[in-house]
Amino acid sequence: MPGPLQAGSEEHRGSAGSDARRVLVVDDERSIRMLCRVNLRASGMEVLEADGGQAGLEVARRERPDVILLDVMMPGLDGWCVARELAADKSTKDIPIIFVTARADAADRRKGEQLGGVGYVVKPFDPVGIGELVDDVLTRIERGEREQLQRGIATEHEG
Amino acid sequence: MSIHEREDRALRLQRVAELLAEAVTPQEVLDAILTEGVRAAEARAGAIGVLSDDGETVELLAQQGYPGPIKEDWGRFPVSAHLPMSQVMRSGEPLFISTLTERNELFPELAQQAQNGSSIAVLPLAVEGRVFGAMALSFAEEVEFGLERREMKVALARQASQALARSRLFAQEQALRERMTFLAEASELLSSSLDYNLTLAQLTQLAVPSLADWCAIDMAGEEGEIVRLAVAHEDPEKVRWAYELQERYPPKPNQPHGVPQVVRSGKPEFFPEIPEAILEEAIGDDEELRQIVDQLGLRSMICVPLTARGRTLGALTLIAAETHPTYTEADFQLALELAHRAAVAVDNARLYGEAEKGANAAQALAYVADGVVLLDNDRVVLHWNPAAAAITGVEESHALGKPVDEVVPAWSSLTSHVPLARPGTSGTRPVTVPLVLDGTELWVAVSGVDFGEGRVYALRDVTAEHALEKTRSDFVATASHELRTPLAAVYGAVRTLRREDIELSDEDRTTFLEMIESEALRLSHIVGQILLAGQLDADAVELRVAECNLAEIASGVIESASVHLPEGISLSLSADGVSSIMCDENKLRQVLVNLLDNAVKYSPDGGHVQIRLERAGGGCVIEVSDEGLGIPSSERERIFEKFYRLDPEQTKGVGGSGLGLYICRELVERMEGHLSVDSQPGVGSRFTVALPARL
Repeated sequence: MPGPLQAGSEEHRGSAGSDARRVLVVDDERSIRMLCRVNLRASGMEVLEADGGQAGLEVARRERPDVILLDVMMPGLDGWCVARELAADKSTKDIPIIFVTARADAADRRKGEQLGGVGYVVKPFDPVGIGELVDDVLTRIERGEREQLQRGIATEHEG
Repeated sequence: MSIHEREDRALRLQRVAELLAEAVTPQEVLDAILTEGVRAAEARAGAIGVLSDDGETVELLAQQGYPGPIKEDWGRFPVSAHLPMSQVMRSGEPLFISTLTERNELFPELAQQAQNGSSIAVLPLAVEGRVFGAMALSFAEEVEFGLERREMKVALARQASQALARSRLFAQEQALRERMTFLAEASELLSSSLDYNLTLAQLTQLAVPSLADWCAIDMAGEEGEIVRLAVAHEDPEKVRWAYELQERYPPKPNQPHGVPQVVRSGKPEFFPEIPEAILEEAIGDDEELRQIVDQLGLRSMICVPLTARGRTLGALTLIAAETHPTYTEADFQLALELAHRAAVAVDNARLYGEAEKGANAAQALAYVADGVVLLDNDRVVLHWNPAAAAITGVEESHALGKPVDEVVPAWSSLTSHVPLARPGTSGTRPVTVPLVLDGTELWVAVSGVDFGEGRVYALRDVTAEHALEKTRSDFVATASHELRTPLAAVYGAVRTLRREDIELSDEDRTTFLEMIESEALRLSHIVGQILLAGQLDADAVELRVAECNLAEIASGVIESASVHLPEGISLSLSADGVSSIMCDENKLRQVLVNLLDNAVKYSPDGGHVQIRLERAGGGCVIEVSDEGLGIPSSERERIFEKFYRLDPEQTKGVGGSGLGLYICRELVERMEGHLSVDSQPGVGSRFTVALPARL
């Protein structure tokens, strides 16, 4: 864990280093984006943001982030559609998706699993641990545990 | 024999013939024979006997000139008896006995009898070669029955035969006509009313005295007991007495004769002469009863069952006592016919009563909102009330008499999960199951009872309730979604502010604090809407109407909305000369906030949102228009329903409590205004609030 950082300031963006995790946060709620940004940066990650589904898709295609934190309920293109489109695109289909949503039903979790999500975070969540969660997911994917992560979505209980 | 004597005899015969021709009734014929006939024959006495219906007995009809009790002694005797009349009836040949000695030789039994008279002549009475009786003539002195005398007697007998046969036919016809008249009267009486207790009582009256001295009708009670319905006698005093008697000596159900036996067996009893043994049997050792029975002088009895559709309902009793002649086969047949008609009348009245009861029940079922379906054990539809028709869309006329699976193909899937109650048990809870009919899905609450002879099902269309229940549970889900987002912001901001491992900039710190404030307000707003919807439901919203400045309210709403306006949205207000209006300022503000919120929320791609105020009549019109997603025409009314969401799956991501427009319309209508919407999908929507001049 890196030491205390001045989160959110442009000049520290580079401090994550060239091999820092690049996380895209897609959420129409400004406050949620900000919470993710501040806490992910504190974990030494580079944070990209999009305020809607369409914008998220564009950033993902352009920037090819290491992981996407994806809200579901958004105006216009919703999270499910974004996940589907990313999966259909060769250049983006391997980007791991962690759903961050207010939808807590088992049916929604199953949908998340079917759409290839590797994590499912139900709002409200503790943003302090979000960096650690992202790190853990990516580490496990690197270890080849992507399928287990996917299967875990539907059975995981709301933290 | 002198010519004079011959002429005289011929004249006498002529005279008899004339008299006989005039006689109509058997009695008149008998009188004529026994007076003029006997005189013409120069006899001292005469008697006429006829064969009984069964041909076994000789019944003495009348006599003339014999002393005293001959009729009582010789009233009836067997055809087989060794007596002159019997012999003549057997042989069909006339019998002439000139001397007493000869008579006593031929008929020793008569030797014991009175020795009056000397010669007798017994002549057969026959028509068309069939002997039906005999005429006996007794002479004062010994008569030599020469050929002429014999011929004269035979001629007399021939005349008597024809007259008697004719009169008996007439009497029979008369009796038949009387019976027919009686039956017609009885039938008319029986059909006059459905109150068979009354009509049967009247029937007994009708039967007395033409048909009986006593007439009674007894009915079989529900537990096999005999219930006297009516008894009639010409003397009302005797009727009272009969009822008393019935009470004191109620019929025993196992009695071997009489009403209990007839009701039990359904077989009639007919005693032309009531046998002593039967009376003895009924009397037993009761001396008082013996006296009563003796006094009644019961002679002849007919007891016939009242039978309809194979069931014995009761019995009709006719008794000949003090006046009525002994019953004949014809009387018995009449009684059977009468009983048959009475039974049919009773049965009809009862059936009518039951049908009426059934009709009442069916009529009641016609008004029941629940579908009621009655099936027999072969699953054939016996009853299908209008509600059942409405729920299933199958008319009663198409359902009745058909197997239910033919009527509603989904029937077995509809009822397979329905536990059947037994009659008298507390029943089972209705099971709500979907029913797909011609592509539309209904939700039906079904309960059933198996009563052995079939099943009865109650169906209730709970589609609306089910839909409401679903929207309610959807609401819980969507409301929780709506609460989760601001909660996530508040909780997340607090957690982040409390992090000690990082140092937040002052700017971020301020932003987080503002976030907590605004998201907490948002939470409070959602909770407030839920509460307000509840109050509107309970009609617990009070209006405080006062003069308000509408333009001020609208500009205030726009001002606060501008603070957190998403990018790409612009707001404007157009208020041409509209200033004051009577309304509840807070409620109207709430309406405008909600409408503006919606306009912004449903414009994800930005656009212009305008509030326009306009005077209309004495009141005003407020329009809130956007350039957003628009509303499909099919949804334009439903969006005002409570819990209804344009996009319940929220796949387009627009959240909300599903209460905003419901609250708006309710509030506007409470201010006696009207809220409507006009929209074109993809182009935008315009909500219009029309408020009246004064509240």
